[in-house]
Amino acid sequence: MAAVAVGGFVGPLLLVALGVVLPAVLAGVIGQLARLTLLLSLPIAISAVLVNVFFFPGGETVLLRLGPITATAEGLVFALEILVRILAISGAITLFYLTTRPAELVVDLERRGVSPRVAFVASASVQTVPAMVERAGQITAAQRARGLDTEGSAWRRVRGIVPIVGPVILGAIGEVEERTMALEARGFTRPGRRTLLWWPPDSAWERVLRWAVALAVPVLIVARVAGWLTWLP
Amino acid sequence: MIVRWIAALVAFLVVAGVGLVAFGNFSTGIDPGSFFDSEGANSFALILAVALVLAFFVYAVVEYLQTGSFASISRQFDTRTIVLMPLAIAFNIILGQAVGAALKIPIYLDSIGTILVGALAGPIPGALTGFLSNILWTYVVPPPFNSGIAAAFAVVAAVIGILAGLFGRAGWLRPRPDRPMRDLFAGGVVALAVVGFLAYYAYTRFYGTTFEFFNPDNTDLLFSLLGWLILLLFVAFVVGFIGLLFVRRDLTVAYVVIAGVITGSVAALISAPIAANVFSGVTGAGTDFLVAAFRQAGSDIQTATLQQGLLSDPVDKMVTFFTVYLILNAMARRTKARFPQGERLLDDGDDEVLDDLETPPSPQGAPA
Amino acid sequence: MLTLEAVSYRYAGARRAALRDVDLELRDGEVLGIVGASEAGKTTLALVASGLAPRAIGGTLRGVVRIDGRDVAAAPMHEMAAQVAIGFQNPATQLSGVTETVFEEVAFGPMNLAVPRNEVIGRTWDALASLRIEPLAERHPARLSGGQQQLVAIAGLLALRPRHLVLDEPTAQLDPAGTDLVAEALSHLSARGASICVTEQKTDLLAGLATRVAVIDAGAIAFSGPADEVLADPRLADLGVAAPSAVRLYRVADAAGLSPVARDRLTAALAEELDVR
Ligand SMILES: Nc1ncnc2c1ncn2[C@@H]1O[C@H](COP(=O)(O)OP(=O)(O)OP(=O)(O)O)[C@@H](O)[C@H]1O
Ligand SMILES: [Mg+2]
Repeated sequence: MAAVAVGGFVGPLLLVALGVVLPAVLAGVIGQLARLTLLLSLPIAISAVLVNVFFFPGGETVLLRLGPITATAEGLVFALEILVRILAISGAITLFYLTTRPAELVVDLERRGVSPRVAFVASASVQTVPAMVERAGQITAAQRARGLDTEGSAWRRVRGIVPIVGPVILGAIGEVEERTMALEARGFTRPGRRTLLWWPPDSAWERVLRWAVALAVPVLIVARVAGWLTWLP
Repeated sequence: MIVRWIAALVAFLVVAGVGLVAFGNFSTGIDPGSFFDSEGANSFALILAVALVLAFFVYAVVEYLQTGSFASISRQFDTRTIVLMPLAIAFNIILGQAVGAALKIPIYLDSIGTILVGALAGPIPGALTGFLSNILWTYVVPPPFNSGIAAAFAVVAAVIGILAGLFGRAGWLRPRPDRPMRDLFAGGVVALAVVGFLAYYAYTRFYGTTFEFFNPDNTDLLFSLLGWLILLLFVAFVVGFIGLLFVRRDLTVAYVVIAGVITGSVAALISAPIAANVFSGVTGAGTDFLVAAFRQAGSDIQTATLQQGLLSDPVDKMVTFFTVYLILNAMARRTKARFPQGERLLDDGDDEVLDDLETPPSPQGAPA
Repeated sequence: MLTLEAVSYRYAGARRAALRDVDLELRDGEVLGIVGASEAGKTTLALVASGLAPRAIGGTLRGVVRIDGRDVAAAPMHEMAAQVAIGFQNPATQLSGVTETVFEEVAFGPMNLAVPRNEVIGRTWDALASLRIEPLAERHPARLSGGQQQLVAIAGLLALRPRHLVLDEPTAQLDPAGTDLVAEALSHLSARGASICVTEQKTDLLAGLATRVAVIDAGAIAFSGPADEVLADPRLADLGVAAPSAVRLYRVADAAGLSPVARDRLTAALAEELDVR
C-alpha cells in the first residue's frame, strides 16, 4: 500500500486491529512489527505513564503517595488512553516502513508527478543519514585513538561532541561543490520529467483500498468533531 | 507579481478567517487572572501557520498560471541547494534524534540544517528542508533514527525555515567583526532589551498565574527548584551573551540572539497546540517533565505545553542560530557566495568584486 | 573534435586568471594527456573544457570553446552533458547518492536526459561492459572499493554517450590496485576509439596511453607534442612534473655509463619486472 498511511487519531484498539495487525499478518511481518512497535513506543510510553499517573491535575482517587508526589487513578486512566493512541500511531508507522522500501515510495511518488528534484532530495536524505552516522563513528574512533574521551561527566561529553560533529558537518558541506558539479555534468539540470527504470506494481484492489482509507480519515475526523463517537469508550 | 502577492494574501486571510471561526476555540473565555485566553491563543497560532502554508501554495499556483513556470521559486533551488538539502535533513534527524533520545535535556537541536538552508538559499528551500526533515524522520528513515512524533510538527519546522530564510535575506547573519565598543554596547543593550521584554511578557502572560519565582506560600519543592533553574538559565544566558559579544567583538552575535529568540517564540506558539491535542503533552523527550511540572501546578494541558515551549524553544533556537552562524563562518567565502542568497551572508569589509568584470582587480592577472 | 581557442578563465572572486590564452585540441579518437604541477590549472582546464566553468560555478571566460567548429557558449549544461562528460578525482562525490545498485547509478545520467527506457538499459549494459564491470551491476555503489567506485563513475559518464571524455586525475585518490584498475580500463577504452582527455600528475599512467601530451604551467600551456617526446623532455622536471619511471630508469642507466645495447636491455628487463611502461 503506497503513500497513504495516515494514522487514525481516534485511536481505539479496533482501528489497530483492522488497520495494522490484519495487513501485517497478511504481509507476514507481524513478529517484527510487534517488536519494533514496542521498541519505538517504549520511551514515550514510559514518559506518558509516569507523567500522567503522578502529575495528573485534579486527580482525586489517590493510589499511592511518595513524599510530595501522588499517583491517582484518574491519571492512570488518562495514561492508558494515551498509550492506546501511541500504540496505534507507532504501529501504523512501523508497518509502513516494514512493508515499504524508501526507494519504492520515492519512485512511486515521482511517477505520480512529484518533481524529480524533490524526489532526489528525499532519496538522498534517506541514504545520507546512515552514511553520516558511519562517518561520525569513524571520526569518534579516530578521536578516541588520539586520546579524546567521550565518556565521563555530562559536561565533558558535551564538549567531546564538538570535535566529532564539527568535522562531519564541515566535511559534508565541503563536498557540496564537487557533488554539484558532478550532478550537473550528468544532466541533472534538464527541466521536465526524467525516464524511470522501474516502479512498484499497483493492483486494482490496492487502489480501491487506498481510496477507502483516504475517505475514511476525514469521515472519522468529522464524526469525532460532531460528537458521534461518544458511545465508543 | 503583485497579483500573486494579493492572491496569497487573500488566501491567507480567507483560511485564517474560516479557521478561526470554525475551529478557533474561544469558549474558555478570558481568564480574569491573566487577561488571557490560552486555548484561544493556541489554536490561533496553529491556524495562522496552516493559513501561511496554504497562502504559499496559492502564490505558487498563481505564478504557474501566469508564467507557466515557478521561476521566482525555482531560482531558490539551484543544484547546489538541492545537494545541500539532503545533508541538512540528515543533520536535523541525526542531531535531533541523538539529543531527544540520549540526552534528557529540554531542548531539541533538530533544526540546524533547516536554518542553514534557509540562511543560504532562502525561505522556501528552508521551509521545504524543515518540512521534509520531519516527514522523512517519521515515515521513511528506519530505526534507530525514527521518531513517531516528528511528522506532526512538520508545519512548525517549515515556519522555522521560512523565518531563517527571511533573517538571512535581511542580512542579519552577515559578520560584523571588530566593531567599536560603542556599537557592541548598543547592540548588547538592544538584544537584552528585546529578550528581556519577551521574557517579561511571556512570564506575566503565561506563567504569572501558575507559579511565581520564590512565592513565600509556595510549598512545592518542585517549583522552588524550577524557579531556581530558570533563573540560573537566564543568568547563564546573559553572562554568556555578553562574554561572546565582547570576546568575539562581532556585533552579529546580538542579531543572532534576537533571531533565535523570535524564531523560538513563534515555534512555541505553533507547536504547543499540536503537542497538546495530538500527543496530550507527552512526546517522550526531555521536555516532558517540564510539561508535567506545569500541569501539576494547575495549568491545563494547552497552557502547560505552551509554557514548556516558551521556555525551551527560544533557548533551543538561539543555540541553533549560533551554531549555524559558526558553520557559516567556517565556510569559504566563495562557497557561500554561490548559494542563491549567499551574498547576503558576506561581510562588506572586503571590496573584492564578484563575478562580472572583464578586467580583474589586480593588473597582474589580466588576461591578454 | 573539441577545441579551446585563446581561452582565459578567472574564478569568481579571484584576483588572477587561472587559465591564460590556452589553445588546445582534442581530436576524435585520440587520448590527450595534460600534465602540470599542483595548482598549475589542470582542474580548471577540465572544468572549462566540459562547460562547467563558467556555467555551474560562475567566473569569467574569454575565448571560445568549440565542438566540431561550433561555439558552445550558449548551450545549457544539460546539453553539454552529452557532448563532453567530465570525471573528477574523488570517486565518492561523483556518485549520485540516490541509487541502491550500480546499474541504477550508471543509468542516472541518461535517465536525467529522458532517454527512452529501453535505450537507457541498453546503454547502461554497454557502459558496464566497456569497463568490464558487469559483475558489479547488482552491488550497492557505496559499498565498493575506491577503484571500483571510480570505474562506476566513469561508466556513468560513458552511458551519456559523450563524444568527448574529460577525466581530472582519475587515479589521484586511489591505492595502487585501484590505479591499475582504472589504467587498464582507460587503455581498453582508448583501444575502442574513444576521445579522452586525461589530466595527471602521475606520468606513468600516461606513458603508453596518451597519444599527445600538453604541459601546463601557471595557467598557460608551456609546450605540447607527441607523448613519448614530451614525456622524455628534460624541461618537465623544471615545471614540477616527474618523468615516467621508464624514462628515469633509462636516464639512470645512461648516467651509469652502460653501453647503449646493455642500457636498452636492462631498461626493458626492469620495466618488465617492475611492471612500468
Ligand atoms: N574555486 C576556485 N576559486 C578561485 N580560485 C581557484 C578555485 N579553484 C582553484 N583556484 C585557483 O586556480 C589555480 C589553478 O588551480 P587548479 O585546481 O586548476 O590546479 P590543479 O592543477 O588542478 O592542481 P592540483 O594538482 O592541486 O589539483 C590555483 O591557483 C588555484 O588556487
Ligand atoms: Mg586539480
